[in-house]
Amino acid sequence: MRVDTAWIDGQPATPEAALRAAADLLDSSRQPFVGGLRTDVIGLRSALSLARRIGAIVDHAGSAAVYPFIVPARESGAFLAAPAEMRRRADRVLILGNAAARTGADVIRMLTDAEPDLGAATRAGKRRFMTLGSKNATWPGAQETAHVDCASEEIVDVLGMVRATLAGRRTGEGALGEETVATIASFVAEASFCCVVFSPAEFGELGTEQIFGLVADLNETTRASTLPVFAEADAMGAALQATWTAGFPLRLSFGRGAAEHDAALNASERQLSGAGEADLAVLVEALAGASPATLEAAIPAILLTADPASAGSAKVAFHVATAGRDQDGVLYDPRFGGFIAKTAQTKSELPSVAAILDALAEQIGERARDAA
Amino acid sequence: MLTRLSGGHVVDPANGRDEVADLYVEDGLVVDPPANGRVADETIDCTGLVVMAGAIDIHSHIAGGHVNTARLLLPEWHRAFQARPGETALSKVGWTTEETGLLYAEMGFTTVVEPAMAPSSALHAHLELADTPIIDKATLVVLGNDDMLMSMIREGESEGAIADYVAWTVSASRALGVKCINAGGSAAFKENVRKFDFDDVVPDYGVSSRQIVKALQTAVTSLGIPHPLHVHCNNLGVPGASSDSIEATIRAAEGSPLHLAHIQFYGYGTEGKRRFSSRGQKLAELVNSTPEVTVDIGQVMFGQTVTISSDELRQFAGSKQASPKKSIIFDHEANGGGVVPMNYKQKSYFNALQWAIGLELFLLIEDPSRVFFTTDHPNGAPFTTYPDIFALLMDRSVRAKWLEALPKSVVKMTSLPEIEREYTLTEIATMTRASPARLLGTSDRGHLGTGAVADVAVYRPDADKAKMFGKAAYVLKDGELVVKDGQVVKRKFGRALTLRPEPDKAMKTRLDRYFDDKYGLSARWFEVPEGALGRDEPFKVVPCRA
Ligand SMILES: [Zn+2]
Repeated sequence: MRVDTAWIDGQPATPEAALRAAADLLDSSRQPFVGGLRTDVIGLRSALSLARRIGAIVDHAGSAAVYPFIVPARESGAFLAAPAEMRRRADRVLILGNAAARTGADVIRMLTDAEPDLGAATRAGKRRFMTLGSKNATWPGAQETAHVDCASEEIVDVLGMVRATLAGRRTGEGALGEETVATIASFVAEASFCCVVFSPAEFGELGTEQIFGLVADLNETTRASTLPVFAEADAMGAALQATWTAGFPLRLSFGRGAAEHDAALNASERQLSGAGEADLAVLVEALAGASPATLEAAIPAILLTADPASAGSAKVAFHVATAGRDQDGVLYDPRFGGFIAKTAQTKSELPSVAAILDALAEQIGERARDAA
Repeated sequence: MLTRLSGGHVVDPANGRDEVADLYVEDGLVVDPPANGRVADETIDCTGLVVMAGAIDIHSHIAGGHVNTARLLLPEWHRAFQARPGETALSKVGWTTEETGLLYAEMGFTTVVEPAMAPSSALHAHLELADTPIIDKATLVVLGNDDMLMSMIREGESEGAIADYVAWTVSASRALGVKCINAGGSAAFKENVRKFDFDDVVPDYGVSSRQIVKALQTAVTSLGIPHPLHVHCNNLGVPGASSDSIEATIRAAEGSPLHLAHIQFYGYGTEGKRRFSSRGQKLAELVNSTPEVTVDIGQVMFGQTVTISSDELRQFAGSKQASPKKSIIFDHEANGGGVVPMNYKQKSYFNALQWAIGLELFLLIEDPSRVFFTTDHPNGAPFTTYPDIFALLMDRSVRAKWLEALPKSVVKMTSLPEIEREYTLTEIATMTRASPARLLGTSDRGHLGTGAVADVAVYRPDADKAKMFGKAAYVLKDGELVVKDGQVVKRKFGRALTLRPEPDKAMKTRLDRYFDDKYGLSARWFEVPEGALGRDEPFKVVPCRA
């Protein structure tokens, strides 16, 4: 039985024909977009290289989750921690909002699974948690948890009052009242090492800046840091790789040669909706569990997918291996806060993302040489 | 293919050469002139040009998590972010991995060492290095604030056990050497200690900075790691305390090799009405009289830059002077670190004196084989300022011009105006080629003897030394012409030079359990598998000494 690995307009095709069709589409595109980017480091290296060659706009499908972190961090700075260090060192953990427990479950488990064992002041006792958010949210099942009920949208204001309290200023009447604000303030200020866990997407750029500001204030007298958690950690890894490759954390355009960055204009959502400059998308959806069954793109797409069921929604599609599952791969891991090498569980005959994208770049290069 | 570089002025101090001669290159190596009258397949006319081995930078922060955070923090200095790029030094610097490789190659540098790779960030650092074209690379792995080492010292474990741990770390992270950054200081800062001296002890470990440095120096020596322990001392940048720390550390070398990094940042006294003065002369004398130590400078040049360091304590302190006012401080495993933008101003008394202190050290340390050419890129200045620094070292009229532009109060506080020394071409080649290769144990480079890798830099002599060294006339990498007239003409990838000491099996088992139990991490995540980098032959192994 023949196993299909490439499609044109939903019909099975040879990989060679599909590559030619994809190159034809790119030839006639005025402004291509390279997106999705759900792949590993080697796949992304090829995607960025192709994007540079074809003058594409580039973004990751999950960038919206990391930009509320990136923008305030680069505009006003931050204290950032590694989860493993906080596991050993933080004596108090403040979890903010309703999203962190879900999106940061793996990271939070590192903190709930062990007691602090480093530091004269921190290792003596049990780790204490405080959660600030809706009482209906799912919270980690830690022993010493104090919960403060607070609507998600009030939290940033409350933190402003915590900062004012810590600075010895009067706060006025807020959502929680002065006494509760004082309780939160002393929880964080009396920590020997306080760790603040939150999902930046829940609080937006300004909210995240307020959280970073609180932690900066705390460091004037004690030690504190943050663990931002993301719905799609992979998008953080891609932003980092784009930064060393092109100077910017994605949302960039090679349209005029050198990389140009615009966080609003080059956002994935804008380009795929058809409201942007792009008239054709090259989309990579090749990570375990991340591939959507149908594409939500209003512009024609060349798709590299780990899930052949989604192939029909693209003009040209390729079935590719999943890095770290079907093939060895390097992926960003939120528990490590960095890149790790993952060994394949099975050996797949499917081509890698890099193999398809490099072959496509090769085709385009040949055509350019022929035309010259 | 046999290539002949004909008629150049060969400056190769490692082999005692300073003469007009032909140089032959074949299959990536320097070869003897053909005896049988064989004619070269290709001749590069080097008549009137200066021929040196490719330069080696032993300390330049070019890759890894902290460097990348600096890129993230400072988008305003990437060329493309602004409609009209500013003429700051950083706007000219290679800010991506690609530009880093190209710009280094264009200056004739062919090997660069990233000196601060955290064990937890080894794969990230090597991924960036694998994306850095043309040049060969290497890394120093950072130890000295890690719980494992400090616990081993506290528990009185044997030197052999500590060496096994160091060997595992070097091998797993694919490093070429070991660096120690404010030993114990970052760990102390995590316990809210804000000042940390060489004989202070890390709370809860009862282990002093001195003990950590000595333990690592012993381990590095016993493992036969060619590069001596690379030390970033305590109290960087603190007037008085910095100079006390480096003096104590140099004296602690006790006859065994030790490398002191970016010593300019430790040449600070407290004299004068601003309580900031030069101790350059005194520090240079101490280096001159301590033959077992080597140093690099960390020269400051004026303009916008960013400081990148795993000295979390000092970066936190420095964040108060951040310009622009933003910084990122990391509480990672072991060292942590920080990224703090800095704008060194010519009109600032403090910054101008820092500049002068760096040059005092360059010029007063007598032996060019023990002082290395660095700006601690980008901490003192971006590496793109190197041509200007060569000019300052080689031409005292250039120094006089720079001094004229400084505040008068600075000129009174430095011995620089009285220093007449000018570096010769041979001394420059010693400092940037022959000695770095010896220091790193990479005997295949840094010279032009038969069998050396054919990394060659050819310069067009010019009265303006900045012009001469800014754009190489030709650069060969592994025998291939990669730069012509200061422009890259061929793209390729170099390799990362690594040691590969055989790790002890029992230590491996112990560390597997340690990382799993204590950190909830797999020890495998600290390893850099060859296949992960997606390049053919990403590494070249350098042997340890027997
Ligand atoms: Zn450095």
